[in-house]
Amino acid sequence: MFTDRQPRSFLDPVALARLAAVPLVARRPMVGSVSGRHASPHRGSSVEFAEYRKYVPGDDLRRLDWRAFGRSDRHYVKEYEADTNLRLCLVLDTSGSMNFGSGEVSKIEYARRISAALGYLASQQGDAVGITCVADGIVRTLPPRRSPAHLRLVFDVLEEARPSGPTRLPEVLHELAETIRQRAVVAIVSDLFCDPAALAAGFSHLRFRRHDVAAFHLLDPQEMAFQFQRPTRFLDLEGGGAIFADPVDITDRYHRALQAYLDQLRAIVLESAVDYHRVLTDEPYEQVLARFLVGRAAGRGLR
Amino acid sequence: MTFLQPWVLVTLPLVALPLIIHLINQRRFQTVPWAAMQFLLAAKALARGYSRLRHWLIMLLRMLAVAAVILAVGRPLSRGWLALAGGGRPDSAIVVLDRSPSMQAGAAAAGGESKLDTGRRQLAESLATLRAGRVLVVGDAARGPEEVPAAEALPELPTCGPTAAAADVPGMLQAAYDFIRENAAGTTEVWICSDQRANDWRPDDGGWGGIRDAFAKLPQPVRFQLVSYAEPPRGNVAVRVGGVRLETLGRDRRLVVTISVSRQEDGQRLSLPLKVEIGGVTSTIDVELAGREAVLKNHVIPLTRSAQSKGFGRVSIPADANPADNEFYFVYDDPAARRALVVAEDPAATRVLELIAGIAPDKGAAGVDVIPPGGLASAPWDAAAALLWQAPLPEGRDAQLVQAFIDRGGQVVFFPPDRPTAAVFAGGSWGEWTVHAKAVAPETWRTDQDLLANTLSGGALPVGDLEIRRSCGLAGDIVPLASLPGGGPLMARSSRADSVTFCATTPAARDSSLAAEGVVLYAVVQRAIDRGLAVLAGARQVDAGPAAVALAAGAGWTRLAGSAVAASTEVGLHAGVFSVGERLLAVNRPAAEDTAAVVGDERIDGLFRGLGFARITGRAGDADSMVQEIWRAFLIAMLLALIGEGLLSLPRRLARERMARDFPPVEAAA
Repeated sequence: MFTDRQPRSFLDPVALARLAAVPLVARRPMVGSVSGRHASPHRGSSVEFAEYRKYVPGDDLRRLDWRAFGRSDRHYVKEYEADTNLRLCLVLDTSGSMNFGSGEVSKIEYARRISAALGYLASQQGDAVGITCVADGIVRTLPPRRSPAHLRLVFDVLEEARPSGPTRLPEVLHELAETIRQRAVVAIVSDLFCDPAALAAGFSHLRFRRHDVAAFHLLDPQEMAFQFQRPTRFLDLEGGGAIFADPVDITDRYHRALQAYLDQLRAIVLESAVDYHRVLTDEPYEQVLARFLVGRAAGRGLR
Repeated sequence: MTFLQPWVLVTLPLVALPLIIHLINQRRFQTVPWAAMQFLLAAKALARGYSRLRHWLIMLLRMLAVAAVILAVGRPLSRGWLALAGGGRPDSAIVVLDRSPSMQAGAAAAGGESKLDTGRRQLAESLATLRAGRVLVVGDAARGPEEVPAAEALPELPTCGPTAAAADVPGMLQAAYDFIRENAAGTTEVWICSDQRANDWRPDDGGWGGIRDAFAKLPQPVRFQLVSYAEPPRGNVAVRVGGVRLETLGRDRRLVVTISVSRQEDGQRLSLPLKVEIGGVTSTIDVELAGREAVLKNHVIPLTRSAQSKGFGRVSIPADANPADNEFYFVYDDPAARRALVVAEDPAATRVLELIAGIAPDKGAAGVDVIPPGGLASAPWDAAAALLWQAPLPEGRDAQLVQAFIDRGGQVVFFPPDRPTAAVFAGGSWGEWTVHAKAVAPETWRTDQDLLANTLSGGALPVGDLEIRRSCGLAGDIVPLASLPGGGPLMARSSRADSVTFCATTPAARDSSLAAEGVVLYAVVQRAIDRGLAVLAGARQVDAGPAAVALAAGAGWTRLAGSAVAASTEVGLHAGVFSVGERLLAVNRPAAEDTAAVVGDERIDGLFRGLGFARITGRAGDADSMVQEIWRAFLIAMLLALIGEGLLSLPRRLARERMARDFPPVEAAA
């Protein structure tokens, strides 16, 4: 598949092979350019019967249902569902906060693995894959294309992504909602460390544009547990000032603030119908993706 | 608070350990890059009053716990309510014990314990707990501190028992000071057990200042603990007998006595059966006590014809709050002949003095021997009760003769000679004569006691009517009894010997109107003779105390009545009747013991100003010990501090549990 000899650090062929067993499907009809595996809002040429329609002059006589004419002496045309491809827009957060990692894997590395696997799976089933790197705005973007060569470019972007700068994810979501022309699956891979209210507006905008939004909320286990024994000077990875705090004093209040944020986020994703997945970076990404794919496969066929 | 292991307190700075650990912890901070800054900022914004307060409370409780452990290991002692003093186990403990009759209060109640017994028991318990190196007890100022083998033995010591004498608290403190100074005792605690009676403490005594200064200058630390039982007994009645005289009417003899019954507070009318016991015969007299005092004046008690001319008796009342003042001993004898010696160089003065001394106040005979100044050796000293001396003050052998007369109990009144010498006697000496251009009258004189006191009916002597034309200067160790205008003394008593009086003018007409206005001089001379007679008589009343002890020291005393005396050195301190040769002595408590004047706490604080002093208020019959080990209380305090610390720390753990419940791992959430 790859023309270069250099293996990508974020690709695990064995895991990809296992994940390929479950197709990546959209939760809502897609408008693609070619035939594919995904439901389309239009009638097409798949084998799945959709409805009868009265014949009107100009219709292809090959689509006339002669049996129905025989039974009812009326002319009906048999229509079938259309299957199309989807456009997968990967939105990768490359702000400074993604550089954090208390364990072996940083959040950006984890995000690369998820994004690459999703891109590969989509590409394998003939879907178009594009990527947008987000930090203080759109850092880099590749529009969705179906060709395997394009996937290589996507991998290059992933490989070259370097986390830095603040997060302006909500603004970028609005921008993407306006710029992605057709319905697409927008997969956001981020730690979502931004104002939840602004984020809610971004999600709603994408939903309004009939995009299928999926969010992988990456959290480091240390960010959840906040287990420090000594007084600590916390340096902001996104370039803000440093904060000095004694964990004894601040731990419970940190947990309270985190809890409030997660509560708020939970309400937002429910309201915006976002396919939300909270991911701790010490969890195997294969499990996360399997859960993501299986969850979507259960709702397959909705039009 | 006192500690048995005070050296442990050296580790008290460890109390700051939690704080130091906190500060060290603050200094060894780590720097970590962090992504979720928004939650940290929110957490910082939430850091409000309670959280901060809780943090410091936890710190405080940790410090308290450490302090409690250290204090508990130091084995703290509680010393009664609020009586806190520094220091640890003393090297010596000196117990100054007030054994006066007023300390006997409380003993009469059913199962009661007197103030003295309570004090001795509590002191024994306290000193045993304190484990003082040496325990000494001062029960008598004259004897000084006596070592006690063990503190527990204090209540049993015979020399710590009750006496009939007033306690000389300043004298006993002086004795304690002498002991501390001479024995170079280390850290010393002086425990004073007393009921704060004025006659025992004598707060006006000039010696207090000296005692205070002396203790303050001691190199070793001395702490004073007053165990005070100042609460007066309720419903206590005291009985006292005075003016005992034997009268003979033909073949019959009768005893005339004045019995007074008194109490310290007004109360209900009481009918007291007075038991009078004379020579084994007991009679009862009912006395009505309506106010504070009832006096049976000149009560006549007929004596049997077979009764001897000399005898003793006892008056008692039923038991009440204080048994020590419920009985009074008296002795009687045929009155001795009134006899005085006159030694004078001026014939005019000699004549007046001879006349005045020779006229007896009753129909008895009164003898006067006029002795020339050079014939003292052959004078009838043994028969005389008073000496009237108008000549240069005695020196050499004459002085020895006069001093022996005084020691025997004789009274001396000195008048100034025509040419005063520099001789000094009993602390007094004559100065120069002063001729007053115009006769002056004495301005002030003491009417409450001594030779110029008011009469029994309260009338004042006409001292102010005297005309003094010439007076002689008087200096030395004297207490003025009457003063001339300008402050010069007219009459003074030697402060070294009560029985020596100086009169600064002579009865001669050119010097004063003492002869013409003879009442004053007559009263002075006859009172001096009476005083001498009281001492010289075959029967004599003495107050228990150092004077009685001094009397007993030179002669063999045989106890005829009264409680058994534990030690021979204690004779004279206990009430009773004693025979000394052919004479009878009745020893009773001093009159001042019957008055309940209590020295105020502020006054006593003032007496110990500048010294380490603490007061513990006790009550007769108190069962509790004054000093107790209280390390358990500190351990409980530590426990409470740790529980409090745990409770304050707990909510944080609960918050984490709540987080785990509300935000389960991702698999479960899915």
